[in-house]
Amino acid sequence: MTDDLLTPENLKPLLGGAMFREIHHFTAIDSTNSAAMQAAAAGAEEGSVFIAEQQHSGRGRGGHSWHSAPGTGIYVSVVLRPKLSPGDVLWLSLIAGLSAHEAIESVVSVAPDLRWPNDIMFGQQKLGGILTELNADVHRVNYAVVGIGINVNQAEFPADIRELATSLRIETDREWPRVEITAALLKSVDREYRALNVAGHPAAAISSITERFEKASSYARGAQVRVDEDGGYSGRTVGLDARGFLRVESAAGLKTVLSGGVRKLVEK
Amino acid sequence: MNQKELKELIEFLIEKDIAEFELERGDVKLRVKRAGNSPEVHFVQSAVPQVMAAPIVMPQAATGAATPAGGHTPEKTESPAASDEDLFLVKSPIVGTYYEAPSPGSPPFVKVGDTVETGQILCIIEAMKLMNEIESDVSGVVAKILVKNGQPVEYGQPLFAIAARK
Repeated sequence: MTDDLLTPENLKPLLGGAMFREIHHFTAIDSTNSAAMQAAAAGAEEGSVFIAEQQHSGRGRGGHSWHSAPGTGIYVSVVLRPKLSPGDVLWLSLIAGLSAHEAIESVVSVAPDLRWPNDIMFGQQKLGGILTELNADVHRVNYAVVGIGINVNQAEFPADIRELATSLRIETDREWPRVEITAALLKSVDREYRALNVAGHPAAAISSITERFEKASSYARGAQVRVDEDGGYSGRTVGLDARGFLRVESAAGLKTVLSGGVRKLVEK
Repeated sequence: MNQKELKELIEFLIEKDIAEFELERGDVKLRVKRAGNSPEVHFVQSAVPQVMAAPIVMPQAATGAATPAGGHTPEKTESPAASDEDLFLVKSPIVGTYYEAPSPGSPPFVKVGDTVETGQILCIIEAMKLMNEIESDVSGVVAKILVKNGQPVEYGQPLFAIAARK
């Protein structure tokens, strides 16, 4: 699909009234998130988009690298300047996952699972990941960058991650137009973000996010999981709390998962 | 923690409807218990501050029970005898996990004794895979790191004490 490049020319006609006026397209880049964070620090406007056909050092949580072969995946980062208080900004992390979930379902007609807070999954394999970076002080959020990576047309993965990763092509046995999925993704991000970013009154959006997340994610309630924080523990998930954190009932009582590192325990 | 920070903390506790709150860090112990809408605050600082490059300047009313929202305001939060360096607290804007380095195994962003500039990254606070790079609000020397790598931190929790350069 040589015409399936994620260029502004290909994407803009599909974006309707969404907020993305500036789209920067790269054949290859170290990391779209790093580029977006640097641009945001230099004053890039809200809705600036950074897209690459390939990342040399795509990043995940805790410095994990993210494999990205050229022209097969979607690597996109968006600059946001939310009016949210620092206490409400974590909802960005959950709407990013929901946006990817909605976009994939709308184009591919198969809904991926969401692993709290925002890993995009098929079964135990990762289809996509999200890294949100923030520049904030205790009083206000200066800017945020939401970076989303989705494996689309990879036919296979290197041996060391084959067990962990999957793509839409592997799951559905056909290739998919990346331009269409990227446009659907950006429009979902735009819609979710507008609903949340109502200064001072995100309450309605928040209850909708929690409800939809719990519906979309097999991890949110009743899943037996292992949590890789606080020394590591196992338990059963019991939904999200009022701030969007995952709650787990463990042998040592009710725990709140702050970061992630949630793995399903395989049923025997 | 100065009067303004204390007031912010109490407003936050009221907003989130938190009935009881306790914080103990170094030589400062703070306990807030709310009955209805009038918080009861105990803010205690031990007589001898622990290892400090410069003294933390405390409100003078801080050694007993204080009524920060109303009541009396301490005359001044800085004593005229204070040295040229005042310790400035950098606080966490979000609930999350404190990371001293950009990735596991990398050297920490800063160490005690390092000179930092305004805007320099001091650490990362992470929650829900949202990485918040905490920048220094002042130029100066890192006098104290108040949290440990991997430790959970609360909103508004002090992370660093920086001896500000004037």
